[in-house]
Amino acid sequence: MDVDIVCAGFGPATGGFLATLGPALVQPDGTPRLESRAVPGLPLQVLCFERADEVGVGVSGVVTRARGIRATFPEIASAGIPLVTPVTSEELVYLLDPVGASRRSRPLRMVDAMLSGAGRLAGVKHHAVQLPYIPAFLQKHGGLAFSLGQFSQWVAGQVMASGAVQIWPASPIAEALFEGDRVAGVRLVDQGTDLRGQPAEGFAPGMDVHADLTVVGDGPVGTVGRMLDARFGLPEGHVRDEWALGMKMVVDLREGVELKPGTVLHTFGYPEPEIFGFLYALSERTVSVGIFVPSWFQSPVRTAYRYLQHWMQHPYLWRWLEGGTLRSWGAKSLQESGRRGEPHLAGDGYARIGEGSGSTNALTGSGVDEAWTTGVLLAEAVIELCAAGDPFTQANIDRAYVARRRASWLDAELRIAEGARDGFDRGLLWGLVGMGLTGLTNGWLRLPARRHAKPRPSLEAYYRGRLTPEEIETIVAAARDAGTAMHDAFMDRCGWPAVPLDGRLLITHQDALLLGGKVQAAAGYADHVQFTSSGQCRVCRTRVCVEMCSGQAITSAGDHGVAFDREKCIHCGACLWNCDFTLDEASGRTNVEFRAGAGGLHSTEN
Amino acid sequence: MSYHVVVCAGIVPDPLQSLEPVTGPAGPALKNEAMLPAVLDPWAGHALFEAANLVKQQAGSKLWLVSLGPKAKLQQVMMKVAQKVPFEFVAIDGSASGFTDSAAVAEALAGAITAIPGLDQNRLLVFGGWESASRAAGATLQMVGERLGISEQFQGVDSLTVGADDAFEILERIEGGRHQVSVCAGPPAVVGWATGSLREPANNPQLGMTNMRSLMPALQKAAPAAIPSAGTFARVAVPSQRRETRIVKDWTPEAIAKDIAEWIRQ
Amino acid sequence: MSILLLAHVDTDGSLAKPALEALGAAKELAAGLSVPFDVGLVGGTADAAAVQIGSCGAAQVFGVCAPELTEARYGTDAAAAEAVARVSGADIILVPGTSRWMRVVAGVAQRLGGRVDTHVTECAAAGAEVSVTRWYYKQRIEGVLTRQERPLVLAIEPGTRAPWAGAPSAMAVTPVDVVVPAGRTRVVGVRAPASGEATVRPDAELLLVAGAGWTKKQADGAPHVADAERLILAFLAGARASLGGSKSLVDQSGDGQAVLPFMTHVNQVGQTGASPRHRKGLATCCHGEEPHVVGWRFIGERRAVNLNPNCGWAQGKADVLYVADAFEVMAKVNELLG
Repeated sequence: MDVDIVCAGFGPATGGFLATLGPALVQPDGTPRLESRAVPGLPLQVLCFERADEVGVGVSGVVTRARGIRATFPEIASAGIPLVTPVTSEELVYLLDPVGASRRSRPLRMVDAMLSGAGRLAGVKHHAVQLPYIPAFLQKHGGLAFSLGQFSQWVAGQVMASGAVQIWPASPIAEALFEGDRVAGVRLVDQGTDLRGQPAEGFAPGMDVHADLTVVGDGPVGTVGRMLDARFGLPEGHVRDEWALGMKMVVDLREGVELKPGTVLHTFGYPEPEIFGFLYALSERTVSVGIFVPSWFQSPVRTAYRYLQHWMQHPYLWRWLEGGTLRSWGAKSLQESGRRGEPHLAGDGYARIGEGSGSTNALTGSGVDEAWTTGVLLAEAVIELCAAGDPFTQANIDRAYVARRRASWLDAELRIAEGARDGFDRGLLWGLVGMGLTGLTNGWLRLPARRHAKPRPSLEAYYRGRLTPEEIETIVAAARDAGTAMHDAFMDRCGWPAVPLDGRLLITHQDALLLGGKVQAAAGYADHVQFTSSGQCRVCRTRVCVEMCSGQAITSAGDHGVAFDREKCIHCGACLWNCDFTLDEASGRTNVEFRAGAGGLHSTEN
Repeated sequence: MSYHVVVCAGIVPDPLQSLEPVTGPAGPALKNEAMLPAVLDPWAGHALFEAANLVKQQAGSKLWLVSLGPKAKLQQVMMKVAQKVPFEFVAIDGSASGFTDSAAVAEALAGAITAIPGLDQNRLLVFGGWESASRAAGATLQMVGERLGISEQFQGVDSLTVGADDAFEILERIEGGRHQVSVCAGPPAVVGWATGSLREPANNPQLGMTNMRSLMPALQKAAPAAIPSAGTFARVAVPSQRRETRIVKDWTPEAIAKDIAEWIRQ
Repeated sequence: MSILLLAHVDTDGSLAKPALEALGAAKELAAGLSVPFDVGLVGGTADAAAVQIGSCGAAQVFGVCAPELTEARYGTDAAAAEAVARVSGADIILVPGTSRWMRVVAGVAQRLGGRVDTHVTECAAAGAEVSVTRWYYKQRIEGVLTRQERPLVLAIEPGTRAPWAGAPSAMAVTPVDVVVPAGRTRVVGVRAPASGEATVRPDAELLLVAGAGWTKKQADGAPHVADAERLILAFLAGARASLGGSKSLVDQSGDGQAVLPFMTHVNQVGQTGASPRHRKGLATCCHGEEPHVVGWRFIGERRAVNLNPNCGWAQGKADVLYVADAFEVMAKVNELLG
C-alpha cells in the first residue's frame, strides 16, 4: 500500500503532529491544499498505526504547563474533555519512613532523625514535611492536570473528524522498511501465526505500507525507533541509560473525602529514597496517583507494585486514600535521558518525534507537552516542505524540522536539563542538590557527576548487613521452586509490613490487573516478548525481568528459565532495560527481544 | 442470489470492564459511561463477520452496518471495525445505554434501514446479535423485523448455508446445547446471530482506508435520535453476592480431591 | 387489569417445567393484583395440557391448535400468540423464557403495540403496578422497573422460581381461531452437538467451569493440553457434569489451535455466553476470568481450585477455594469418581 506519510504510534507527539498537519491538508472548499504523490488528485494521504487496541489506553495522570498543547488548542481547558482541570495548588512533600524498612543512607537517616526530633517545629505532620517552596523550574502553576488517555482519545477524535487523517489502532508495526539507508515505510505484523510467529490457520502476512515520510513516534520502547537506533546508532557522545518505570492508578476516594480539583502533590523519600510519587486530583473524588522507580534505584529485586502499595499507605497520603477504590491501573517506561539520549532526529525518509526522540525533560519532570511540541514542529516542517514540493530527504528535514527544534524553547530547556539528575547516582541528597543547582542557575552550575550507570549490585552486596548469604540463597531457591518473584520475600525479611488487603485499593498484583485493566490478547499473533538466548535465562539468578514485570506477564519457570504470557503484558518495556544480560554494549541491546504486539493489558480507564 | 444485508450492531462497554450503575434525572446510566472504552456488541460482531462472508460468496450482494450510539463513541469503535470487513455505514447519533427502551431503538433502526437508498426488500436480510451485551433482552431485532414487515425470523443462529435453490438452511440454538434446523425459502428474513463459526477477520489497513472514506461522512450526517429510558426504574444495582469463602490450603491433592468428590456425591 | 399466561404444549401434549414456572408466576401476580388470569395454550392439541393445569385457578384456558404449531417457527408462533392475546385482551402477558418463546415474544409485543421485558426473574404487584425485576449488561446489573405501556409482555427466566404444582382437573378449552400463515420456513429437525456430553446441559447437577489456565504454561514452563483434555473429559463422564468454559478458553479453541478441541462457543459461560443455573459449580484454572463473576451468578454451591489464595475473583464468590494445582487435584478426583 502506498501513502504519503505513515506514523508509527499514536501518543502525544503524533497527536501534536496530526492535529497540526490535519487542518492544513484540505482547503475550505474540500480540494487538496497539500496534494498527494501516492494518490494524485487527493490530499496528502496520512496514516497512523497504533499497536494498542484503542488510542490512549495507558493509564496516566499528567500535570503540565501545557504551553505547546495550548498553542494548538487554546480552549483546551473548556473543551469538555473528561478529567481535565487547571492546576490549583502544588505541594512538594518529603516523606519520612513510618515503618522503618526503607533503605536509607546514613546522612539521610540523620536528616530524618533531626526532622523527627524537631517534630511540628520542623513542620513534620503525618510523618512528612511539606517543603515551604517549590523551585520555579518544577512549578506547574497555570498549567493543567489531566488524564492522558482521555486527552489522547479526544485528540484522536478531533484529528479523525476532518476525514483527512486516519488512525488505526490494534495495528502493531513489525519493522521499518529500508531502501538502502532511506526509510521507505513500515511493515505491519503478521496475523494468523502461532506464538512463535510461524504461519498458522488464517495466516495473513503483514502488509507493507510505503511512504515518502515515516514519522517515528512510537515511544521509548517502540519497535521502529529501536530499529533505527540499532541501524544508525546514537549520535556521538549520546547515551540512553536513564529510565524509570511509572506505575499509576486512578482512584475513587471514599465517601466524604474530597480534594480540590487541580491539587498537585509530588513526594520523595519513601518508600525508598530513590522512589518519587505523585497525586493529582482530577475531580473532587478522583485522583491519579503513582510512583516512579528509576533505573538508578539499585535494588536487584526492584518491584513497582509492592512499593506502590506501601507508598499509598504512607500516613500523609493514606488519610485521603484509605477506603478508596481502584478504578484503573497501568504502567509505562519513561526514557529520562532527555537530550543526552537523543537519537538522529532525521534521515532520508524519516523523522523522529516524542519521548523516543529524547524530548522528555527530567529536570522539570515534564514530557507530554514536550512530546506534543516535537510533533507540532515536525508538522510545520512537513507543511513547509510539501508546499515547496521538496522531498523528504535528510537535508530537507534537517533544515525544516531539526533546525526548528533547535531554535525552540523545548531544546533550550532540554539543554539545561542535560545531566541535571546525575547526582542521584550518588544518593538522594546529592541528587537533590545537583538538580537544584542546575535548575536554579539555568544550567550554569552543575555538580560533577559520572555519565554511566553502575552495574547493579549482587543480591549479597545489596542486602549486606541485612541478610546473610545463606538467607538470600534460601529465598532465591524457594522462589525458583515456586516459580514466583523474589521481591516479596526479600521485602518481608527487610521489615516491610504485610499489605492489609482490603479488596478495593490494596489488592493483589493479579487483582490489580483484573480490576484495573482488561487482560486479553487476540489469538493469531506472535509473542512480542522473546528471550534471545534461553540459556542465559536458565542460568540467570536474579531474573529482574520477573521482579520488575508490571503485569506479572513474565514468570520464573524454575530451571526452564522464564515464561511469558502476553495477555498480561502491559507493554511497559521494563523487561527491556532491566535485563542483566547485555548482548551489545553500543546499542544497549539485552537478552530481551521486545517487539510490537497486539492486545495485552489495557488500563480500564485512562 | 445476491443479497442486501443490513447488520444492526450497537456498541457496548468493553465486556471486561467493571460496570457500576448510577441514577440520573433521565433514568439509570453507567458510572463514567462516557469514559468507558466501547466495543462493537460481541454477538452483533459475529453477525457482521457472517454477513461479510455471505456477501463475499454471493456475487452482487451488498452490506450495510447500521449502528446507534453517541457519535464520538461510534467513531472510536469504527476505528477498529472498519479494518475488518467492507461495509457502508449508517450512523444514528443517540444513547447506546442498555437501560433504554428496545421498542424505541427498534423504531430508530427500522427508520434508518428504510431510508437506505436503493435497498431492495426482496433481497433483504437483516442481521444482528440475538442479544446485546447491554440491554441483553433479545428483543430489538424482532421489533425491527416486524416494523419492516418481515415474518421469517431466526434467533440464536450459529449457521446459515445458502443452498443451490437459493433457500438457506439455518441452525438456531435451542435448549440442551442443540440446534433446530430450518430451511427458509429466501429473503427477506431477520437473523439474530449467536456466535456463528467464523473467526474474527484479520485487520486489513487497505480495507480500512476504503471504508473510512464513507465512514466519516456517515458519522457527520448521523441523525440524532432521542431514545427514552424503558419505563420507570425503582432500582438499579450490582447485587452484592459476597460469600464467606473458606480458603483451603496446605492440603494434599488427595485430601482436596476427597473433599470435592464427597461434595459432588452429596 | 387482566393477565394472560401463554405456553407451548409439548409434542407429548403436556406442559414442560418452564411453562409451569411461568404459570406459578402468573397466578401469584394475579393474586397480588387481585385480578383473574387466563391461560393460552399453543400447540398441536391443548386438551391434555388443560387438564394438567386444571386446578390452577385460571379463569379461562384458550387453545390455539394447529398441526403447524407443533413446530417452533417465528411466523406461525407469532400469529398464534397474537391471536390469543387479542382474544383475551390481557394487559400483562407472561411467557416462559424458552428458546421458542424468546424467538417471537418481542415481535408479538410489537404487533400488539405493547412493550416487552425478557429474562424476568421476578414480577410482583406493587400497588396497582407490576414491578418487573430483570438483568442488564449480561447479568451484571439488576434493575427493577415499572412500565405504563400495555400490553406488557414478560418472558419469565426459566429456573428462577418453583413450578406450579397442582392436581390435574377437568378444564374446558376455549378454542381460538387463527389463520396460520403459510410462511416460507420449513422446520427440518433438531441437531445434537457432535461433542456429545461436553455441553452446558441444564439438567446436570454440576457445572464444571474450565478456565483458560488449563491451556497455559504450567510450572515447568510448558503447556500440557493433552493432559487437560483427558482430565476434563474424564471428570465430565465421572461426575456426569455439564461443561462450561471461559471466553478466552473457548476463543482459543475456536481459533483452531491445538487446545481443548471439544470446547466451542456453545460451552461459553459468562459475559457473552450462558448464565447457567445448576445446583453446584466447580471452577478450575479460572483465575480472574468472568465465570466467577457473571457465569456463576445463578450457581448454587460454588467451589474453586486455584493456585492463588488471594484470588479476588474466587474469594467472596466461591464457598470454598482450594489452593492447589488443578491438574493434580482433578486427576485424584477422577480416580475417586471412578
